[in-house]
Amino acid sequence: MILETQKLTKSFGGLTAVHDVNLRIQERELVSIIGPNGAGKTTLFNLLTGHISVDSGRVIFKGRDITQLPPHAISRMGIGRSFQRLNIFPRLSAFENIQVAIFSQQRKSRNIFARASKLARHETEAILESVGLLDKRNVTGGLLAHGDQKRLEMGIALAVEPSLLLLDEPTQGMSPKESGELTQLIQKLVRERGLTLIFVEHDMNVVFGISDSIIVLHQGKILFEGQPDKVRKNEEVQRVYLGDEKGTWSSLLRE
Amino acid sequence: MNLVTFDAIAGQTLSGISVGMVLFLIAAGLSIIFGTLKVLNLAHGSIFMLGGFLCYGFTSTFVSIPGVFWWTLLAAPLIVALVGGLIEIFLLRRIYTQEMLYQYILTFGLILIIGETCKFIWGVGYHSVGIPWPFGGNVSLWRLSFPVYNLFLIGCGFTVFIGLVALMRYTGLGRIIRAVTYHREMASALGINVPKVYTGVFMLGCWLGGLAGTLMPPMSVVALGSDMEVIIECFIIVVIGGLGSLSGAFIGAIILGLVDAFGIYIIPKLAVAFGFMLMIVILIIRPWGLMGKPE
Amino acid sequence: MNRLVIALSSHRLLLLLVLLLFLLIVPFVMNESWVSLVNEILIMALAGCALNLMLGYTGMISFGPAGLYAVGAYTTAILLTRYRFPFAIAVISAPVLAGIIGGVIGWFCVRRSAVYFALLTLAFAQIIWTVIFEWYGFTGGDNGIVSIPIPEFFFTISHCYYLTLIVVGISLLLLWKIVQSPFGKTLQAIRENPGRTEFIAIHLRRYQLSAFVLSSAFLGIAGSLFCVFSGSVFPDYAHWVKSTDMLVICLLGGFYNFWGPIVGSAVYILLSKMISNETMFWMFFLGVIIVFLVLFMRNGIVGFLSEKLAPALHETSEPDLSERGQ
Repeated sequence: MILETQKLTKSFGGLTAVHDVNLRIQERELVSIIGPNGAGKTTLFNLLTGHISVDSGRVIFKGRDITQLPPHAISRMGIGRSFQRLNIFPRLSAFENIQVAIFSQQRKSRNIFARASKLARHETEAILESVGLLDKRNVTGGLLAHGDQKRLEMGIALAVEPSLLLLDEPTQGMSPKESGELTQLIQKLVRERGLTLIFVEHDMNVVFGISDSIIVLHQGKILFEGQPDKVRKNEEVQRVYLGDEKGTWSSLLRE
Repeated sequence: MNLVTFDAIAGQTLSGISVGMVLFLIAAGLSIIFGTLKVLNLAHGSIFMLGGFLCYGFTSTFVSIPGVFWWTLLAAPLIVALVGGLIEIFLLRRIYTQEMLYQYILTFGLILIIGETCKFIWGVGYHSVGIPWPFGGNVSLWRLSFPVYNLFLIGCGFTVFIGLVALMRYTGLGRIIRAVTYHREMASALGINVPKVYTGVFMLGCWLGGLAGTLMPPMSVVALGSDMEVIIECFIIVVIGGLGSLSGAFIGAIILGLVDAFGIYIIPKLAVAFGFMLMIVILIIRPWGLMGKPE
Repeated sequence: MNRLVIALSSHRLLLLLVLLLFLLIVPFVMNESWVSLVNEILIMALAGCALNLMLGYTGMISFGPAGLYAVGAYTTAILLTRYRFPFAIAVISAPVLAGIIGGVIGWFCVRRSAVYFALLTLAFAQIIWTVIFEWYGFTGGDNGIVSIPIPEFFFTISHCYYLTLIVVGISLLLLWKIVQSPFGKTLQAIRENPGRTEFIAIHLRRYQLSAFVLSSAFLGIAGSLFCVFSGSVFPDYAHWVKSTDMLVICLLGGFYNFWGPIVGSAVYILLSKMISNETMFWMFFLGVIIVFLVLFMRNGIVGFLSEKLAPALHETSEPDLSERGQ
């Protein structure tokens, strides 16, 4: 088991965002977390990566208790993340975006003597190629098309060689074709690198298409979890979702 | 020599509060401007100084007119507000979306422009303005001799504070300003002409600065360089009280006044630094100030 | 025109050498007041580049660089005047002390972001100013320290100039190396997206503090050089108006380019001298220029030129891509 959380809880003011969440994620699993807006998905991610402090409960990664660690230390341990809102380095080129992450991974970020342009070329190009951006390596990050920026974002997350990758709504804002391409890319990367993947998604096609297991979050609590088939048929889940994702759910039920 | 007598403490407290009220008069405008427009207006000290020069200019030119000071008090802040309006419309408007650094530098440029214009019109000397009737002379309070005009200024400070609070809380205009301050997009969607409100608030802030600048000269001198002296005090006040809070500015001003008064009493040499040290302490432990809200 | 640009950009090293050559012969081709001017420009260029390490490269907006600059200047001044230290030690101590004080101040400042960070730097710089201004016994108070016992060798303007040239040259070289290194790239990533960098295992505060300390040290060198150049130091070296001068220099030249502050320094000082010779109201025109810059030329002169010449320059980078054979 690569990631475990025990009774993870977080409140903001009077509002409980995450309540008693117990996760057990196995290595190389592809887990998706779904739930209506406000269910606590992003807060959960923020708790896992150390960006907000836990009220109670523990997060255990690869057997180590990481609950109190600062974000950069957790990142160093092997948890990578991509974001809902785009989070690249806009004025740097695509190449530099990835390169700076690789510097960090190679512990070279403190080096003030070497010439950056000469270092880590192969590794950077390898990542660029695996996310399909090699031909755009000199394009300024902020000028890339939205879909390409998402790929770049994924590249940055991969560059620090995570064992666990958290993706927050990776296909948001994409056309069906782009979503399909990105999903294939994700699957390929996960297979190639033996990654464990947890992702938050609203696109049910993606969720049911590639997940090994699905966790349904509602009002900060785990409503149900299990394999896609079981989740699809569960009545409670249907009830909770019908209010929010009418179209997608009922269309899936018709299958 | 017993330093800690009741007289001494009372004296210093009174002194501190009166200085604080005066500072509030100046800082109120900056606070409003920052609260609503989110602009760090470095040129607010220049606005103050401009008011002072206009005061001197009018009172010395129209010396023969009775009550000239009071006519000036009416006219000068309005002129200053007008200048502020022009600045907002033609210059500031273009940089609202930019980073604070550009606002800082732009308003610094304005300091130079306004300062040199004052130098051009009124020269480099010190100027003084006589204390207007009927506030001349001193009065005795707790065995201390106090200039009556100082008390008048304290009264003005209070009046301005109460007036502003009343404006913000109980008038339609105040509601609009608050709407724009706290919920800009919503206000715009509701049909409020946000740019006009911005201009109006900036002009109000400048009017307040000009008012302070016009009230000050009888108590001190009108001179170049007062813009620089004043702006830093204002910054300290606004930080202590909370960027954007009017009551914060009031409290901050009084605190700074007291700190300065007692500082000079205790360690005269470093008294000047106490204000900055307080500013640092607040920024480190509670950056949104005493009355501000964390974002 | 395009061919000229292409020729220029591919011979950047050549241009640099020409500039260097010019700077070397300045004392022989110009009169003393011009040599002093170039001396001053070089010192301000270093100060600007030091500030820009924090500002343009790391995205940390400081309102108080003059404080550290003054620390450097006063360190050298006091060590030479009061304690009769050897010249070399007095000068080298400047960046060391400025770096240490920068580290202390920076430690507090990096805990906060944006506006609060900037205001903290302002407050600390004003404290430095106050200490210098009030501590009459140690710093000379508002009289400053004059007639600083600099070695006689440097009384000659051209000797002093060469000292400046060498020190500034080495410092700028070091800054260039830092900016081109992985550390420098990491700083730029921090500027672009500080939050994101924590997710690539970068300890944000530590890097920001490092940038602060390095910036302070180089500001200290600049201050020390100015102390030697002018033979005196005054509290105003720490004043926030001086800080704003440095900010304007960076803005004028351009934040996002290494050469920005260098160009900015030259233009600013030349312009100031020219206009102040014409009228006693030259600060008015300075103010107008500053306003103009902020409104219409936010990326400074170098930024402006880069944008205009970008189309031409892209033609030179195309060959790079196809060379890769991908």
